[in-house]
Amino acid sequence: MRVDHYKSIIRAQLSRRNMLKGAASVGALAAMGSIGLGTKPVFAAAHSDLRKEILAIPGVGTGSPTDRDWQAVGELCLGPTKDRFAEGEFEGVELTFMGLNNQNLHNFLFRGFLRPWEDYTGAKINWIDLAQADYNARLQQSIATGTVDFDIIEMGAPFEGDVTGRGLADPMPDWVKEVIDMDDYVGYLQEPVGTWDGQTYRISIDGDCHNFNYRKDYFENEEFAQAWADEGNEGPWEAPTTWQKVQAVSKFLSGKTDPFTGLPAHGYLDPLKGWGGFGFYFLASRATAYAKHPDDPAWLFDPEDMKPRINNEAWVRAIQDVLDIMDTQPADQINADPGTTGFQQFLAGTGSMVSWWGDIGAGARTSDTSVVGDVAGFSILPGSDDVWNHNAGQWETLTSGPNFAPNMAYIGWGIYVMARVQGDDKKRTAAWSAAAHLGGRDLSLWCSAYPSGFQPYRNSHFNIDEWEAAGYDRAFIEDFLGSQADSYNHPNSAIEPRIPGIFQYYSVAEDELAKIYAGEYATAQDGADAIAAAWEAITDQIGRDSQVALYRASLGMG
Amino acid sequence: MSEDRLFVVTNDQISPTRARLGLAIIWVSFAMLFGVAAWQIFVPDAADSWRPTLYAYLLWITCLCIAQVLRFGEQGKRRLFVMPATIFVISMVFFPLIFGLSIAFTDWNLSAIDGQKFNGLDNIRQMWRDPFYWNALTNMVWYTLAILVEYVIAFGLALILNSQIRARKFFRVAFLLPLMLSPVAVSWMIGKSMLEARFGPIARFGREVGWSNPSFFGDPEMARAMIMIMDAWTFIPFMMIMLLAGLQAIPKDIQEAAKVDGATPWQNFREVIFPLMLPVSITAIMIRIIFKLKLADIIINVTSGGPGGATDSVTSFIFREYRDRSNVGYGTMLAMVYLVIIVIGFTIFMKLASRWMRPKY
Repeated sequence: MRVDHYKSIIRAQLSRRNMLKGAASVGALAAMGSIGLGTKPVFAAAHSDLRKEILAIPGVGTGSPTDRDWQAVGELCLGPTKDRFAEGEFEGVELTFMGLNNQNLHNFLFRGFLRPWEDYTGAKINWIDLAQADYNARLQQSIATGTVDFDIIEMGAPFEGDVTGRGLADPMPDWVKEVIDMDDYVGYLQEPVGTWDGQTYRISIDGDCHNFNYRKDYFENEEFAQAWADEGNEGPWEAPTTWQKVQAVSKFLSGKTDPFTGLPAHGYLDPLKGWGGFGFYFLASRATAYAKHPDDPAWLFDPEDMKPRINNEAWVRAIQDVLDIMDTQPADQINADPGTTGFQQFLAGTGSMVSWWGDIGAGARTSDTSVVGDVAGFSILPGSDDVWNHNAGQWETLTSGPNFAPNMAYIGWGIYVMARVQGDDKKRTAAWSAAAHLGGRDLSLWCSAYPSGFQPYRNSHFNIDEWEAAGYDRAFIEDFLGSQADSYNHPNSAIEPRIPGIFQYYSVAEDELAKIYAGEYATAQDGADAIAAAWEAITDQIGRDSQVALYRASLGMG
Repeated sequence: MSEDRLFVVTNDQISPTRARLGLAIIWVSFAMLFGVAAWQIFVPDAADSWRPTLYAYLLWITCLCIAQVLRFGEQGKRRLFVMPATIFVISMVFFPLIFGLSIAFTDWNLSAIDGQKFNGLDNIRQMWRDPFYWNALTNMVWYTLAILVEYVIAFGLALILNSQIRARKFFRVAFLLPLMLSPVAVSWMIGKSMLEARFGPIARFGREVGWSNPSFFGDPEMARAMIMIMDAWTFIPFMMIMLLAGLQAIPKDIQEAAKVDGATPWQNFREVIFPLMLPVSITAIMIRIIFKLKLADIIINVTSGGPGGATDSVTSFIFREYRDRSNVGYGTMLAMVYLVIIVIGFTIFMKLASRWMRPKY
């Protein structure tokens, strides 16, 4: 959804919850289309049966899907391929696909989805599976050594500067845009994301943002509510909406007992161990409400000279927040990476609050390892009572209330076709056909409803009726999808810069953060200064002028 | 052939023409190699890959082998038995080393648009100021010193398995089992499962016996100790089996003679067994040090070098610098410096070892 559309709805006095209430939301969005805003109908009626059919595979609450399910979904979603290509048209074509194997998802699903496509078209796909932590290195080495050995890649937008900026990707043919219905993408995934020098390269298969996941059984617990009041805490006992309250709740819960597991209760879960650079997003999610001022598009670097902001007061406060509640976290938390906080802790019943991508909500009721499906609640990331105005050099309290700035962490995965297919038309068409199959409208609905590693990213994914028909509890899915929609469409969302080497910045920050959390710096400011110095060195090494130009472009500053 | 110590009986009649032909094919093939390499170095986009130079190199070494026979006849054929292996080893060590050195003195970040740039000694200077590298080197000292403890345990186990105990064969196999496991499997089975703070059986047991918040990787010293223990558990069987082989090779009559002379078991061990075991012990320790210097997999999987770098090894740090940060030039320089430290350290150790192993009496 585009921000201007969102604002139109707000002006029309439609609350998010109302907007997402089934027919009402369909009606509202359809009405927007009819009054000339250009939005397509939320879902195509012709496909409604198909969508219902695929969402029933295997059915919510029947355990994790298997390869058989993925193949079945792939087979049912083969319509656009069959409409455009004859059976066996790509016979003899061999493609190599590079992607991830996180949590046995990603490539594992793609294999299943593409098996019917291979059977139908006659093409063969070879697979390169990478662990999340190995991904950046493998990609960078392929680029730097001129050894791109894959035709199709599953890649995040942060790497677009590295790949499309060097002419290594193939521009998307127009017919693909029609097949995948790009106008259905939510607003922030529209241009310039996925484009470079006016050419479109990316088929989005994911829409990333961090949202706030919490345990409703904690915040509906009467004993906790009584104790909260007895201890003289401010405000009602409810899920926090500001980081100030997250801190207070985490301290309050220390020493109490988890109402579900009987083990020690915990508040917010911070991943204190690095994750190949991806762990930095979790500090960023704490920091955006402090650091992303509504009047300033930048929050990570100064757009004039790439001077890091990581050591300004906003980021230092976020780091200090982590330090302040470290003693409330589970034992051994210093050895917990984001995978641990999300899957081994929160979904497994430890802790009451965590920031994560949509995988938590998608897995809460569909993953075999989740025990919190009935008690998981969702919202956008907490805000802050005050926000740092970097240009003015002071904290400000906004007249509109707390400052919210959802972290659009990673901007989601996409499928890209590499330029090396350009010499062979048949291979090029086959590669785009495979990519379009994975980025298809209906298949993407299934991916956002079941564990896949991907979260909703199309306007048509927010049709509650479809989710309810699949077996989701209406209140649960309204809550989950609402948190996603609110994040995507937030006017003050913090969007990650698409600059080369961004994960180098994150990786070195993780090393320094580990030292900060281990108490090796006297203050959070000292540690943040060390990160800033390391970031300056990386910028100089990669090339400050080009980084400034790309950073400004990613912020839409020209 | 006055210097022929192999007592070659064949009377080769090598004609001067044949000898010159041998010399000629060496130099012609070498000129080709030189020419192709120079062409690839100085002509941009001369070829898609370095394969032409590789093929020229293979041609040169083939000519080198043939020339041995042409020039030296029977003696040359004997050289052929070792030449391919020698050339292979040189190719696999020498060339990568040269290539590595050429990278180590450059500023090469894979994300940099400008690519590789020569930067002299800047990487050394950066290393000198890099607290993460020195921290990792310090950790390596601790990890290496832990080998002494491992050696004592391995020796004890070897002595037990060498004595007449029940189910000796079973224990020999059982004690060897950890060695058969991949360190990655050990990381997940032990580090991330059994030692998991909430559900892990060892943590549960800890809580049962009154340890309120069992944490095995939260405290720097504890985390380092746990890494040492997991690594030791995997590799003590290796030292044990080497020492056991050594113990079984000690002649029984020497030990019996000591008994007849009235030696106590302790005197028997101290004066007979231990000195005789010194060569095996030194070998076992040296091989173990080599393994230890490569320690990375358990650390990467279990702690990622944390908390705060307390468990980082040089290899795991270089891995992070190279892999996560694509800092190829600096990462290679760190590895080169590590190599130099290892070579110097090992040279000193081997000198000392040869002194220790001299007969005492």
